[in-house]
Formats: sequence, C-alpha cells, structure tokens
Amino acid sequence: MRDWEALVKQRLAGLALEPEESAEVIAEVAAHLEDTCEEMLRQGMTEEEAVGRALAQAGDWRVLRHKILAAKRKEQVMQKRVRQLWIPGFLSLILCLLFQAALQRLGLQPRIVWSGSSSPILYTPWLAALPFIGALAAYVSSRAGGSRATVLFVSVFPALALTGAFLLMFPIGLAIQGITGSQGDFSIVATVLLRDGIGWILVPGAALLTGGLLAQILNRTRSSSPQTAIG
Amino acid sequence: MIAPGIKRGTAELAVLSVLEDGPLHGYEVARHIEEQTHGSLRFTLASLYPLLYRLEKRGWVRGVWETSGTGRRRRCYRLTPAGKKKLAPIRAEWSELFRALKRLAKVSHA
Repeated sequence: MRDWEALVKQRLAGLALEPEESAEVIAEVAAHLEDTCEEMLRQGMTEEEAVGRALAQAGDWRVLRHKILAAKRKEQVMQKRVRQLWIPGFLSLILCLLFQAALQRLGLQPRIVWSGSSSPILYTPWLAALPFIGALAAYVSSRAGGSRATVLFVSVFPALALTGAFLLMFPIGLAIQGITGSQGDFSIVATVLLRDGIGWILVPGAALLTGGLLAQILNRTRSSSPQTAIG
Repeated sequence: MIAPGIKRGTAELAVLSVLEDGPLHGYEVARHIEEQTHGSLRFTLASLYPLLYRLEKRGWVRGVWETSGTGRRRRCYRLTPAGKKKLAPIRAEWSELFRALKRLAKVSHA
C-alpha cells in the first residue's frame, strides 16, 4: 500500500504553517490523491499509471504550496497579530489613559519625588495600578498564543507608545522653532525630557513590565502544573 | 471547455452549490462539480483546496475530520448557516450576469 502522506509531505516540504495545521493539509491532499488513484485503478489503469495521473493532478507543487499558504497564512498571520499584539496592546494603553483621567477627575495630585527643577513627577496611585494593567495585557496576549517576547512587548506597550510620542516632540519642537525663529535652551529641553522621561516612561514602563513578568511566571507555573497537564 | 478566467469566478458558487446537497470531502466536491457540469468545470488541487480553506476562514463552510466505515479519515465540508445565507445572493448575482450577457451577446441555452 502506497504511503500517500509521505509522498505529499515530501512534495509540500517547507509548508510554513503550524505543525498541526501542516499535517492536516498533508493528510487531506494525500487522501484526495489516494481517492483519485483508486478511481483510475477502477477505470483499468495500471498502478504506475494511476499513481502518475494522481500526482499530475497537483500540477506544480510549488504553486500548490504557495496557494495553500496564501489561503491559510495571510489571514492567519493578520488575525494572530491582531489578537496577540494589537488588541492587548491597545487595551493596556486605553486602560492606562482612562485610569489616569479618572484619577485626575478625582482630584488626586501627582507626587514630586524630590525637590529641585528636575525632580520627576509621579502619580503614585496610577503607578500602583500599572502592574495589574501590564499583567492583564500579558494575560490576554498569552491566552491568544503570544510568544514570550510578544507578551512582554504588549505589557509595556503604553510606555512604548509614550516614548514614541516623546520622540515626536523633538522634530515638532524644532519645526516650531524654525517657523517662529526663536532659540530654545537645550539645557531646559534636556531637563524636561529627563524629568518627564523618568516620570512618564521609565518608572511606568518598569511597573508595567513587572506586571507582565509576574503574569508570565504565573502562567508558566500554571501550565506546567500536573493538573493542567492531565486536563 | 470554459476558459480559466471565467471558471475562477464561478468556483465559489460551484463549491457552495454542491455542498448545499450535503457534506462532502474534497475529492467528492471536485468529482460532483465535474459530473454535474459534464466535465466543463474541473478543479485541480491548487484551485480546490485553497478555495475550501478561504471559504472556511470566511465561515461559509466547515471542515471536520470523519472516519468512514472502512476506517479512512476524510475531511468533510459542510455548508454553515452563514454559507447558506451567502449562496442566495451569489446565485442572484450570477443569474443577473447571465441575463445581462444573454441580452448583450445573444448568448442562449444550447
């Protein structure tokens, strides 16, 4: 009896899908070829002829592989990226912003850590909530099958978004200076960047990352527990 | 024989139509279409399976592995309620196109 799966596997080598999905495609195509071959045999062909005709049905195997990948992977990658990266990332960003807006409405003032012109301003209650938000984002991404790097990236996503906003301030500031003709004092800009960078990016980023790391450790502990393994 | 360019557009309708009669696995889908169109529409592996996977992604068909009486595993495709709902407008579009072509090019039934 011919091993159709081995024949198809050989010809569809490099089918860049998840192993389980790749195995399903191979099994399905192999079953199709097996049925085709049997039909040919019923029509009176020799086995060699029937196998040749069945294999010829696939045409160019590279085209078949490419078309299967295009049908399966394109949407799959997009969906995965959305579920593992963008949904948890924007969820954490929105939660961070909403929570901070709520604290401001409640009248909670930021706390100045030490005296001096460059002392960072920290929203202590907001910072206290960030590990939970980071953990939640990491959990959502992890549930969607996100890799370790993706999960950590997602947990610090709000800090990265703020970094992006900070970096945008440079060219915008320079453009404004160029238009108005005013000369900025670099030392003031550097002080503000350092102060706000600590208060809005570094410390919140660390808090978010702490939550993300804790969620990941917790998740790993749970998934390696015997109860989960049996279930 | 129908030219490949025209066939490509009809593939979705053909697959959904044969699955309307009941679940079929990939080989049966291709065979039913070939039989019902007297050989005018033939699917290659490269045209059938990518299409079935796309239809499945859209939620119009659902493939489930089943074991036959002889112990063989085959992936059977069924039309989903969403697929059934989609079939009617696709049919209407094609009917409209055929009517338009008939008027335009005096294409008539053989």
